[in-house]
Amino acid sequence: MTNTVRSIWDYLKEISGENAYDRYLAVHTATHPGKPAMNRGEFYRARQDEKYANPGSRCP
Amino acid sequence: MGNSIRRYGVWLGVALVGAICWGVLALSRGETVNAGWLLFAAIASYAIAYRFYARFIQKKVLETDDSRATPAERLNNGRDFEPMDRRVLFGHHFAAIAGAGPLVGPVLAAQMGFLPGTIWIIVGVILAGAVQDMTTLFFSMRRDGKSLGQMAREEIGPVGGAAALIAVLSIMVILLAVLALVVVNALAASPWGAFSLAMTLPIAVLMGVYLRFLRPGRVLEVSIIGIGLLILAIIGGGWISESSPYAEAWTFTPNQLTFALIVYGFVASVLPVWVLLAPRDYLSTFMKIGTIALLAVGIAITLPPMNMPRFTEFAFNGQGPVFAGSLFPFVFIIIACGALSGFHSLVASGTTPKLIQKESQVHPIGYGAMLVESFVAVMAMIAAVTLDPGVYFAMNANPALLGDTVQSASQAVNGFGFSVSPQTLQSTANAVGEDSIVGRTGGAPTLAVGISAIFAGVTGIFGAALQAFWYHFAIMFEALFILTTVDAGTRVGRFMIQDLIGNVWRPFARPSWLPGNIIASALIVAGWGYFLWAGVNDPLGGINQLFPLFGIANQLLAAVALTVGTTILIKMGKLRYAWVTGLPLAWDAAVTLTASWQKIFSTDPAIGFFAQRAAAQQSIQAGQLNDTMAALGAASIDDARQILVNTTVDGVLSIIFAVAIIIVIGDAARLWFGLIRGGKEPEMSEAPWQESHLDSEGNEIEREPVGAR
Repeated sequence: MTNTVRSIWDYLKEISGENAYDRYLAVHTATHPGKPAMNRGEFYRARQDEKYANPGSRCP
Repeated sequence: MGNSIRRYGVWLGVALVGAICWGVLALSRGETVNAGWLLFAAIASYAIAYRFYARFIQKKVLETDDSRATPAERLNNGRDFEPMDRRVLFGHHFAAIAGAGPLVGPVLAAQMGFLPGTIWIIVGVILAGAVQDMTTLFFSMRRDGKSLGQMAREEIGPVGGAAALIAVLSIMVILLAVLALVVVNALAASPWGAFSLAMTLPIAVLMGVYLRFLRPGRVLEVSIIGIGLLILAIIGGGWISESSPYAEAWTFTPNQLTFALIVYGFVASVLPVWVLLAPRDYLSTFMKIGTIALLAVGIAITLPPMNMPRFTEFAFNGQGPVFAGSLFPFVFIIIACGALSGFHSLVASGTTPKLIQKESQVHPIGYGAMLVESFVAVMAMIAAVTLDPGVYFAMNANPALLGDTVQSASQAVNGFGFSVSPQTLQSTANAVGEDSIVGRTGGAPTLAVGISAIFAGVTGIFGAALQAFWYHFAIMFEALFILTTVDAGTRVGRFMIQDLIGNVWRPFARPSWLPGNIIASALIVAGWGYFLWAGVNDPLGGINQLFPLFGIANQLLAAVALTVGTTILIKMGKLRYAWVTGLPLAWDAAVTLTASWQKIFSTDPAIGFFAQRAAAQQSIQAGQLNDTMAALGAASIDDARQILVNTTVDGVLSIIFAVAIIIVIGDAARLWFGLIRGGKEPEMSEAPWQESHLDSEGNEIEREPVGAR
């Protein structure tokens, strides 16, 4: 039961993009060691602006 | 051996369950059929189609190749191209394709009985809709995520490409107008609904500030807060509607709401996204998925009987009061989303192909997500047909025919061949906390009554039915994501116009250039705003005039997608499988062109725009309404003038749509014959093969796998 709730929660985190920053940080430190990474706020602001700068279409 | 017997035994069992359910649906002699049969017929059909037909398309027709790197892997830039887990991508893709469409169309089509619409939703999705989504996704993925318009231009030619662009822009305008009209009809004269929807604005701004500055990226947290506030807003709406001074202040006429929506659409398109659009997007996505899941559970628990007959006489005589026209072609036009929706081809050639990890995943994501959307349409149909048919017609028929009172509506419904007492109409309205439910067209209120009855059946088990709360919950849920579509659609249209004008005059193409932003937003809002205004003030009922146009436009886009698909299949040397997209295309073209023909040339003024126009013109010239106009529901010469303008615009649009379909298919057919006769070498714009280094979970493959090419 706890496992199911846990995995649903993890899925929601994944799908809502909540853990996107953690993933970015991991990739960034691995590929550009020593370079400063964006902080959480900068990362999400940049990501949000980017996502809607080129809006995909969606269905009614 | 034993294993394979067991495996096929299971599928035989599924087929048997499906066959029995369909049999009961079609043949049972009882008074009413239980919705459970429909639910299981749908699930069994989907399962078989997914396992056998979709896999056939994946293996034989498209020949997906998992050793080939997808654009997400090859072009990975950590932003728009990025391999995404298939379960997560499924969620994103589903959220992008499932909107208000599958909730509205089936409700309107229910006037012909529950069977025609249901058969089309299920058979249509299996053979046409899901095939379109899956093949478009695959072809776009093989071309580094090119859009449908680009593919049409490159694979068919500039003429087909231009027609596709016109289709996309015009469908956008009609679509936004129709959806906004649904909201206006649901909220007019309903202080409860108007208050709770208005509250979503401050809630969205609050969420936006929270996400942008206070706790960036904490999406789940802020969504939970948002949904909590939303529920409070619905409860608050109940208090508002009970206290007379506030109720009066929150009661709006359709024209006031139209004005508010137009201003809102413009402001939302000009403002930065984080203020309204982004937070609203989260809110409506979670509400959408949550409500759909709740509805499935609710139907499975309550198993309501379906009170609408299998077929009503309107399926055959074309005199339906909700929309005119007979079963063929209009059921297939009215139900677009959920069965075959051209709009999905834009999503399937947008962001999804750039994120897909493995080629074979077009099967669950392209085909699978569309099956789920179809299931949503089936549930909407169930919610509508569990209503008393008399109540259904009193809500959905042209308001001009129903009159203003429950008595006149009851009489009108008797005239349609159904019966409902004035008391039933009043008590239904009281139960959902509204003054009246008569003439609440647009599908949303009907669906909300159906959903609220189902939810109230569930919560009733625990002692409190709360039907009025659930009704406004459903209204809010539909209005919320229609408004999100209006936001997003206006913005997409704005970008298209900026891009279009940008071709001629450079600075316009820059999305951040404020004058360009304002002018393009104003143009697109003026476009749908005009149709919305015309629909709200249409003496003959806007929904029944505009919804068929929306359906035709949507199916036109599907024709473009299927034509592109068929062309590419022929170019790939898969002529013998070209029927996979070719047959749905033939059907879609037949439906759309027949519907267009009837809308343009029919001499029946209830159907043909130009027959209506002629009757209006005669009335204006004679200085008094003739019988035809009066029978349609016009009340004055001013009505006739309004009808003259509306039918001219609608009729011309019908002609444009029909011509565009003929051009696209004709242009492609010319190419097909050239290719089949072998005169020309096919030119394909597929990206070259490159080896993949990822497994199906997205992990790096260490060594060369055995048997790779």
